[in-house]
Amino acid sequence: MEKVKRLGKFRVYWKGDWDGKIFEKCVAVVGSRRMTQYGQRVVEKLVPALVHEGWTIVSGFMYGVDQAAHRTCLEVGGKTIAVLGWGINYPMSNDQCSMSNRILETGGLVISEWEEQQPAYWTFPARNKIVAAISQRIYVVEAAAKSGALITAEMGRELGKEIWAVPGPITSLVSVGTNKLIASCQAKMWLPDSDTKSNTKQTEISIALQNESLTVDDLVRKTGRSAEDVGSELTMMMLAGDIVEKDGKYYVSEN
Amino acid sequence: MKIRSVANVGLTSFGVDVEVDVAEQGFPGFNIVGLAGKAVEEARERVKTAIINSGLDFPPKKITVNLAPADLPKDGGAYDLPMAIGILAASQQVPKSDGIFYGELGLDGSLRSTKGVLLVGLFALRQAQGEPGAVFVPIESANEAAVVEGVEVYPVRNLKELVDHLNGVKPILPLDHLTINHLIDDSVVEFDLSEVAGQEQAKRALTIAAAGGHNLLMWGPPGTGKTMLARAMPGILPPLATAEALEVTRIYSVSGMLEAGESLLRRRPFRSPHHGISAAGMVGGGTNPMPGEVSLAHLGVLFLDEMAEFPRSVLEGLRQPMEDGIVGIVRAAAHVEYPASFTLLAAINPCPCGYLGHPRRPCKCTDKMVRKYRSRLSGPILDRIDLHVQVPAVEIEKLTLSHPERSEGSRLDLSAAPQDDSKKIREKVISARRMQEGRFKDDGLYTNSQMHNKQVKKYCKLDGETERILRLAVEKFDLSARAYFRLIKVARTIADLESAENIAVKHMAEALQYKQIA
Repeated sequence: MEKVKRLGKFRVYWKGDWDGKIFEKCVAVVGSRRMTQYGQRVVEKLVPALVHEGWTIVSGFMYGVDQAAHRTCLEVGGKTIAVLGWGINYPMSNDQCSMSNRILETGGLVISEWEEQQPAYWTFPARNKIVAAISQRIYVVEAAAKSGALITAEMGRELGKEIWAVPGPITSLVSVGTNKLIASCQAKMWLPDSDTKSNTKQTEISIALQNESLTVDDLVRKTGRSAEDVGSELTMMMLAGDIVEKDGKYYVSEN
Repeated sequence: MKIRSVANVGLTSFGVDVEVDVAEQGFPGFNIVGLAGKAVEEARERVKTAIINSGLDFPPKKITVNLAPADLPKDGGAYDLPMAIGILAASQQVPKSDGIFYGELGLDGSLRSTKGVLLVGLFALRQAQGEPGAVFVPIESANEAAVVEGVEVYPVRNLKELVDHLNGVKPILPLDHLTINHLIDDSVVEFDLSEVAGQEQAKRALTIAAAGGHNLLMWGPPGTGKTMLARAMPGILPPLATAEALEVTRIYSVSGMLEAGESLLRRRPFRSPHHGISAAGMVGGGTNPMPGEVSLAHLGVLFLDEMAEFPRSVLEGLRQPMEDGIVGIVRAAAHVEYPASFTLLAAINPCPCGYLGHPRRPCKCTDKMVRKYRSRLSGPILDRIDLHVQVPAVEIEKLTLSHPERSEGSRLDLSAAPQDDSKKIREKVISARRMQEGRFKDDGLYTNSQMHNKQVKKYCKLDGETERILRLAVEKFDLSARAYFRLIKVARTIADLESAENIAVKHMAEALQYKQIA
């Protein structure tokens, strides 16, 4: 049985049902392993939009932004290609296994340049080369000043691919790289379509949450109400689907 | 010659007869029989030297001491005094006495403070028939027994004074009975909750924990006040009732942890063992099992800082006490049970380095490390913790901003933001506890946290809307059946804090704030 496929100038091992069509319209969504909540939210806005336009999402299968991109893509019913930073037969952890299985079940691909290679410092930049090569566009979500995602972007630029970066807060370390890409015109700035929906009920809390994510304590101080009142109202808003909670902070929900 | 003394096994006291025989015939010597431990064996030298150094005669004859019953293991220095008195009585230096003697001798004949004197007093009370029994104990520990009404406690400074007393030369006056209510005083609060900056939600969770006896887990990066919050907990718990104070003091008495002259523990215990603790240190152990931290925290607070750093075996040892409120310790020498009904307060960092989700500092942990760290807390332990709360990093600017001099025309007066001190909170807690007392008077429970599913169904009727909210939450947050009951219990306590008869929607909604953090 055939073990290796040609992919451009690369030879790759693969898992899944190989269908050349999957490579026709690919974008890479890459970023920091140390994704913040902001990065998570960006991925949740960006990936569904791309999937909706019919793109296949390519990423590096590492935790952080890569996995968030794969996961979000699967959640909205898109196809995704994972390019491993290690050999195709190298054992994966439980979480990675279940993620990989889901990718394959939905008609995606898991590919790698190697068969048995174990992960090492040099394997990840090598993997980035493939990510850059098979994608027509590259979106960078959260990258620190020195990030593997910047290597991917650089390689993509050399190959003449379209590079996009999502701006982040200037105070965040993991947005330094992306902001720099934009500032130095090496990447186009990605912004979401601005269709801010009008909220039906405007409470003190929902107004406070519109611009920033806040903890219960922040809201207590902002509104001057007691922790029990604020807490119970937040629960009700959460159950109604107006807001979501992540790691102790509350956000206005996206949908 | 027979002298009465007491052996404590765990918290149970047994009468011990110290029989002394001074034989006219036979080679001079001093032997102790009756399953005596090492410390009792060594009493020979202490007793002999103490008698001689007190200016009394140590008979140069064949002396045999028997500690009866023979099958009960005896350890410690408490038999020094009865043996010495037995020898002196058998050699006609003092008249025979019916009292109970208990205490360790020094070589100069003075008495040293001895563990378990409170239990001796309680034992004497049970044995007293009609008239109050006399108890002779070291002066430093005598106050412990003085809280027992109906027992004459004689504080003994040294052997010589005791001999003078028994011979009627110079009597020792028995201690006045100490009334417990007078002693209980907890006006002093180590930390006041108002000293902790911000953390309104955590304070609220602490209040609920105190009111309903719920266990509480605090998540948060280092330096956010988790330890301070925990230390403030005793200050918002209701004062010890008389019976409770006695119960706690008994445990401290057998552990020898009461200070000289101390009679009764006045405040709820707060124990915070370090995570290097062994399993035996946590639940209790030793050849003659001594109480561990769970028992020393009885009716008080057991605080585990950095809970995930504790060895798994130690944490698993908490399961039985958390479930039953008692802990059984089985050793070759004895099988004892100590009470261990405590409120667990635990603090945990969100990840090994501590800064996951911190607004400014980056976290250095990989995904795998975080998952491994969290998996150290086993499901069964987490299942027994009713309240989970985040204690986020406080941003100083935010705290100072919320002062009244805020410039923009805010219509809210932030100085009026809730800033209750421990005293106020405690009043609320006490009134909530009173509601629970009334509710559970026929069930043998004290707090909402102790309810089993049966009682939850009986006392926590939910109206249609509240039930709907709860069901919605169970579905949305994927909560287990056990979490369902836990939430109802917490909601019940929140309602109690408002003196509300029924659980309303807002109570349930607030309870959902403290659900388990994944």
